[in-house]
Amino acid sequence: MPAPAALRISHVGLRGVVGRGMTASHVLDFASAFGTFLERGKPVILGRDPRASGVMIREGVVSALLACGHNVIDLGVVSTPVIQNAIRRYDAAGGISIGASHNSSEWNALKFFGARGTYLSTAEAGELLDIYHLKNFSFVGWDRIGELREQRDALDWYLDELAGAYDLAALTRFSLLVDCCNGTSSLILRRLNERFGMNFTLINADIQGVSFAHEPSINRRTVALQLAPLIKPVRADAGFLFDVDSDRVAIATNEGTAISEELVLPMIADYLLPQGPGRLVITNLSTTALLDEVASWHDGRVVRVPVGRQAAIDALATYRPDQIALAGEGTGAVMMPRFRFVYDGIASMLAILSMMLERGRTLAEIVAGYPRYSILKGEVPLVSKQIPALLMDLQRRYEGGTVNMADGIRIDWPGRWFHVRVSQTEPAVRVICEQRGDPPVALYEELMDLARSAA
Amino acid sequence: MPQREHLLKIGVSGIRGVVGEFLTPALACAFAQAFGTYVGSGRVVIGRDTRASGPMLQHAVTCGLLATGCDVLDVGVLPTPTIQIFTGATRARGGIAVTASHNPPEYNALKLFNAQGLFFNHYERNELVDLYHQSDFRQAVNQEIRCVFHDYDTPVTMHFQRVLQHVDTDRIRRKRFRVALDSVNGAGSLVSCRFLREALGCDLHAISVDPAKPFPREAEPRPDTLGELAELVRRERCEVGFGQDPDGDRLAVVDEHGVVLENDDVLALAVDAALRRVPGDVVVNLTTSMAVDDVASRHGRRIFRAPVGEANVVATMQSVQAAIGGEGSNGGIIFPAAHLCRDSYTGMAFMLDRMAETGLSVSQLAEHLPRYHRKFGKVGFEHGKLGPLMQALEESFPEAQADRSDGVKLMWPDAWIHVRASNTEPLLRLAAEAKSQDRMASLYAKVVELLEN
Repeated sequence: MPAPAALRISHVGLRGVVGRGMTASHVLDFASAFGTFLERGKPVILGRDPRASGVMIREGVVSALLACGHNVIDLGVVSTPVIQNAIRRYDAAGGISIGASHNSSEWNALKFFGARGTYLSTAEAGELLDIYHLKNFSFVGWDRIGELREQRDALDWYLDELAGAYDLAALTRFSLLVDCCNGTSSLILRRLNERFGMNFTLINADIQGVSFAHEPSINRRTVALQLAPLIKPVRADAGFLFDVDSDRVAIATNEGTAISEELVLPMIADYLLPQGPGRLVITNLSTTALLDEVASWHDGRVVRVPVGRQAAIDALATYRPDQIALAGEGTGAVMMPRFRFVYDGIASMLAILSMMLERGRTLAEIVAGYPRYSILKGEVPLVSKQIPALLMDLQRRYEGGTVNMADGIRIDWPGRWFHVRVSQTEPAVRVICEQRGDPPVALYEELMDLARSAA
Repeated sequence: MPQREHLLKIGVSGIRGVVGEFLTPALACAFAQAFGTYVGSGRVVIGRDTRASGPMLQHAVTCGLLATGCDVLDVGVLPTPTIQIFTGATRARGGIAVTASHNPPEYNALKLFNAQGLFFNHYERNELVDLYHQSDFRQAVNQEIRCVFHDYDTPVTMHFQRVLQHVDTDRIRRKRFRVALDSVNGAGSLVSCRFLREALGCDLHAISVDPAKPFPREAEPRPDTLGELAELVRRERCEVGFGQDPDGDRLAVVDEHGVVLENDDVLALAVDAALRRVPGDVVVNLTTSMAVDDVASRHGRRIFRAPVGEANVVATMQSVQAAIGGEGSNGGIIFPAAHLCRDSYTGMAFMLDRMAETGLSVSQLAEHLPRYHRKFGKVGFEHGKLGPLMQALEESFPEAQADRSDGVKLMWPDAWIHVRASNTEPLLRLAAEAKSQDRMASLYAKVVELLEN
């Protein structure tokens, strides 16, 4: 079944279904806008995930950046964190990552980074969007056009940084099974095996541009699909699933149990908070309350912001870096100060392995140490103009809880909360509710009915 | 200050303009999308000359082609005829050369070829431009997007083989000719050195053969731009000098005294060489010298004239199955037995082969050509005045035979004048030729006087 048309141009960049909404002309204009936005003089770093459309998009991006007078360093097929690392290494003006991460293969996207590999702030992204819409690009004359250089060592620089943060030699004792979903993680993990003698066994490891072995969604269902059933037969100490550009990770225990993607952030918080000095965990309103409980064990505090990467970036900018222990979402996307706040699935995996090493416990034992929370997630298509009335109605009905209306409505009671918000990508309402212990089925059904009746 | 309309031109000759503000990556990409949509998904060959803007535009074109589901075969920096021959020989849907030919370095353009490696004909070009304006391009989805392949060597060996099968290579090699070369640091730089030194065994003295450097002279190879080459010929006592344009389709020739031949004479010599090898008639444009008529009639062949422009000459050559053709003043030689395209390498091979065959020098060969006197010029004109001007011109020479297929050409048994509007600039181009200098000068003066009143 062909993917339906999609195109979204927003503060996080350009994203859509290639040839069905997202075209070469969007790519050229957006890259030209970025080339106009960046100051000239330093190179711009470029990399992509293995989607077939990435080759086409790369050509357009290279052309636009050269035309704006920037030298371009192309890293080829690499993960997004490798690009961000190279931006710092080259002291580059910025970079572009071509890849649609956890979306299916028909999709692609452009993500933009500023100097030092950071995501653009909302103000910067707004300026970029303005340039894009005005289409008043600053192309240089023929004698000042930039040059393209291909660079294939960036992966090793990134591994050097990982090796500086984790005791890789000690982690070689673990036997690990990884589902690469035909993405960039397979390149990184192979190289970790070669250079550091690590012990990764890979499935779905061939780089694929068209048909991924399965949807690159990072959740418990995908872990249970191919990865979890293989853990026991190969006697792995843990299993990891990465999306195509390996910025997100989900896990399976040594017993072959697929773990909810929601657990990744609390686990890493549990590992990093005791190390200090940061006390804050930045996450969004839809993330599990287990995080608050884990943070309280270590005298940490959770800061909740609206859903979406941009809100997290803006929140990060309002604190000193040393105040923050980590930031992330319940989607398996985690960023750490050690890696300058970049969503990095590989670094997250190494944090979890380091925790296993430090505590001398199996992954199943560690997971068993957390209280059980049950989360239910649903979605109802809704006409945009009905949404305010629905939110007002919910606020009236559910009294006695703590209300947060920063993004839709979230109401917390002791041991139970719900969050009803509007999707940023489609005209739909997302319903999430969670309870310590058993799933809050009645509350969930009630919310879903209310949402449906508003439609 | 150039007029604005010079800076970008989108039309039946493709897309051409000053890079940066005018010829942008987005325009090149969209034109490539129109091209990819027009030729259909399949392989498209792409190459370029050495202009600094070449890689940037090639990436944009590649993006557009991939976006329509074509796969792209990149042949790198190569002369336009090499790209055309390869496009025709490999099973490609078409080809694109990123080159502004003889235009200054701030310009660039796309030359578009069909599956046979030929310029699109008039009707095809119109369809393509319509497609571009409609912007209704074929949009490939992820699984339909192909990749980029590279082949930098096969096109060159294929081109050499196509050309050299028509000359006696061994005879040329035995002569070890002392040859001077000026490739204007263009696409011919490396290929021509290889052609003359390795394939034809010449003792080569080359200048401006560094493709990484900018054009050191005006890009069009003409007597007034080839001073350095002429000097090189004299200093190194070369037997012949060859001058190319940036994309290696045009050729100028310098004789052993350091005198640059007129391009019409170079064409006449090539026509003579070709008609000695293959049977068939001759096609040239309306502005080409009568010397070519004389050479053709010496071989008992007919001559056909086409409007100015390579595509027009090629179209006529196809319809009359010509043995050779070309455009005199532009330095273009088209020899269909090699390929139906302007090719400086065919010109070089013919010249060296005739020298080896006859033992004559370049100046001696040129002396055997009929002598004519020529003059070229251009004047600006106001829009709306063209019709009355042409009419007045024709009426003031009632005794002349008139050809109205491209501006006005008026012909007498011993002379002709040709006035036409340029395809690329708001200019009238004038040309006159006659047996005698006086006759030519008086005709030319009369035309100028008419046009300026």
